[in-house]
Amino acid sequence: MWGWRSSRTVVIGLAAALFVVSCVLPLASFLMTSLRGAATAFTLDARQWGLLVNTAGLGVGTAVVATVIGAPLGLLLARASLPSKALLRVGLAAPLLLPPYVVALAWTYLGNSRGLLATVAGYDALAAWTYSLPAAVLVLGLVLYPLSMLAAEVALRRIDGRLEEAALMVAGPRGVFWRITVPLVAPGIMAAALVVFVLAVSEFGVPGVLRVRVYTTEIFTAFAALYDPGRAALLALPLLALCLVVAVAAVALLGDRFVSARRGAGTPSALRFERSRALLAGITVVLVTALGLPLAVLAREALNSRSIIAAIGGSSEAIVNSLRLATLGASAVVGIAMWLGYARARAASGLGRLADIGLVVLFAVPGTLVGVGLIDIWNRPGPFGGLYGTDGMLVLAYLARLLPVAVLALAASSRTIPMSHEEAAAVSGAGWLRTMGRIVVPQMHLGLMAAWLVAFVLAFGELGVSILVAPPGETTLPIRIYTLIANAPSSSVAVLALLQAGIILGPLVVLGAILAHREVS
Amino acid sequence: MSVPAVAVSNVSKRLGSHQALTDVSLDVSSGDAIVIVGPSGCGKTTLLRLIAGLEVPDAGSISANGARVAEPGHNLVPPHDRGLGFVFQDLALWPHLTVGENLGFVLGSAHVPRAERASRGQRALDMMRIGQLGGRYPHQLSGGEQQRVALARALVGQPQVLLLDEPFSSLDPDLRATLRAELHQLRRELQVTMVYVTHDREDAAALADTVVEMRAGCITAVTPFHR
Repeated sequence: MWGWRSSRTVVIGLAAALFVVSCVLPLASFLMTSLRGAATAFTLDARQWGLLVNTAGLGVGTAVVATVIGAPLGLLLARASLPSKALLRVGLAAPLLLPPYVVALAWTYLGNSRGLLATVAGYDALAAWTYSLPAAVLVLGLVLYPLSMLAAEVALRRIDGRLEEAALMVAGPRGVFWRITVPLVAPGIMAAALVVFVLAVSEFGVPGVLRVRVYTTEIFTAFAALYDPGRAALLALPLLALCLVVAVAAVALLGDRFVSARRGAGTPSALRFERSRALLAGITVVLVTALGLPLAVLAREALNSRSIIAAIGGSSEAIVNSLRLATLGASAVVGIAMWLGYARARAASGLGRLADIGLVVLFAVPGTLVGVGLIDIWNRPGPFGGLYGTDGMLVLAYLARLLPVAVLALAASSRTIPMSHEEAAAVSGAGWLRTMGRIVVPQMHLGLMAAWLVAFVLAFGELGVSILVAPPGETTLPIRIYTLIANAPSSSVAVLALLQAGIILGPLVVLGAILAHREVS
Repeated sequence: MSVPAVAVSNVSKRLGSHQALTDVSLDVSSGDAIVIVGPSGCGKTTLLRLIAGLEVPDAGSISANGARVAEPGHNLVPPHDRGLGFVFQDLALWPHLTVGENLGFVLGSAHVPRAERASRGQRALDMMRIGQLGGRYPHQLSGGEQQRVALARALVGQPQVLLLDEPFSSLDPDLRATLRAELHQLRRELQVTMVYVTHDREDAAALADTVVEMRAGCITAVTPFHR
């Protein structure tokens, strides 16, 4: 319908080129550096084993905790009659948007020797646990469980109710649930657990704050403290391999559903749960533990600050920088991802599957590795070096981290628009750009807005890459908080962490209020 | 003998691993109403999409008014320059545009002066007896009204050939019969050439000058229909 010489080729080609520069080149460069030293990669000291065990433990533990909390919640959201369900969904998903290191910080203020728990209990109850691997698992589990929750809900909503109704003719509800429902949703939940695993082993902030030695913190130390990029690259190889294997497994499990929008299938299910006090109590416990408690602990700590205004004023430059760069980054991410998501949605299925694997693999590359790769490419003389040492590196960092997942999300959004809408426009005489501008993009507006908002939130809280590529003298709020943890009173740090959480959760509160109003009216 | 409005010559088309069409030839005379019938998967929609330029033939060629518009691997003339109107099976009404804007988009794409668009759009809606619905969105219309909007949108650009892909398949029998009769009347008034794809033989009986039967990607019979 649209030939190779149409404007489509130019626009998507340009977007693809930007994607390659920001996402593929850093990984390629990193791999080249790693492979040059690969001969010694596998003869490193026994510390490697410790790192591997800790990292795998963090990933597996987090995946288990997130699934145990998230999957039942997804089941309830899909199948139980709950009050203000839309609002509840937003509230339960909110922890995912909190920067994980902010929650880790709250955990330390709760559990350390001068923390809330010690004050209330009269003794240091969590002495051995505050800075530990189990603590990191718990914190990340509480941040990432919404992924399992949403995946389980989507998987359950996709089940055609007739399948369960047919089984209900011959078996009781419990039997149908375990024999029919669970096997149907298991691949979706499993894939979400794998994604959680990848995110957990890629996480830098939480193990950093909780002093857990894992690959990401070790790579950061090798690069930023020991100035040994070669060692950093070598250390990263096992982590990269681990992430890539798990990412490919997740794609294989989900298949084409990676870019499918949430949509009910056929008849609604007859297998539903009645509302009960126990269910509501369980949901309340999760909401309080994952969202209310961290915010309350941070607020309590922040109130100890001599001057909240002074604490904020001292970091005003970082706050403004963060807002400006996250706005710029989110706009750039969505501006590029929109075209690539469309191209993915319209690609032939074989090519599309290949693209999905590539996108998930790129998304799974840990931030610290991306940072090392970006520095490797841009920190050199010549035209590339012009960007290094400027704010542009931070925007590149956001692109490298967020473009792959934004492309997947917007591919799902594009897919909801029937091809016949474009064909009707083509028959009418509209060119590709006019068709995109008047027919396709307006129908994607909700997806675009959501993608921008999520990209903004994630960019605003990004730490793993930013801390490596930020130019000297330039700082963002996450970097400022992370560096102040060791150098400033905890109350000042809590003020900034709370401010960051507030800026992130603010739009969510507005969204929640709108949903609540809709439900009431 | 006059030049056919559409000439399909020895066209074959493969979709993935499925051979959708094999060596299909068909001439559509100007002003004629061709109804293509056949079971699901026999290739009738693929043939319509090839005529429209939404697919490219693997073999053979397609001509419009004597000018070649498609040859193996290439569309020589893009869909919008073939003088066609197309009614899709799912209607493909753009949900974010009002009925008037749906028609306005077509006229704007054809570079009709802005001042003329409203009146031409309104004329098309009046012709379909939905003149009062210009400000509504597609989801605010009944199934029958949506069908009329789709027809109005296909006709507003004054096409020489109207292509319809099972447009009434989702309607109840009474409404189907009404719209069939209206379409038949409209086609006679406008003298527009029509290619209509359906699996319903009642459609053929009501609308066709010629019935083309297809099976397994081949044309099995071409029968002039005398009403």
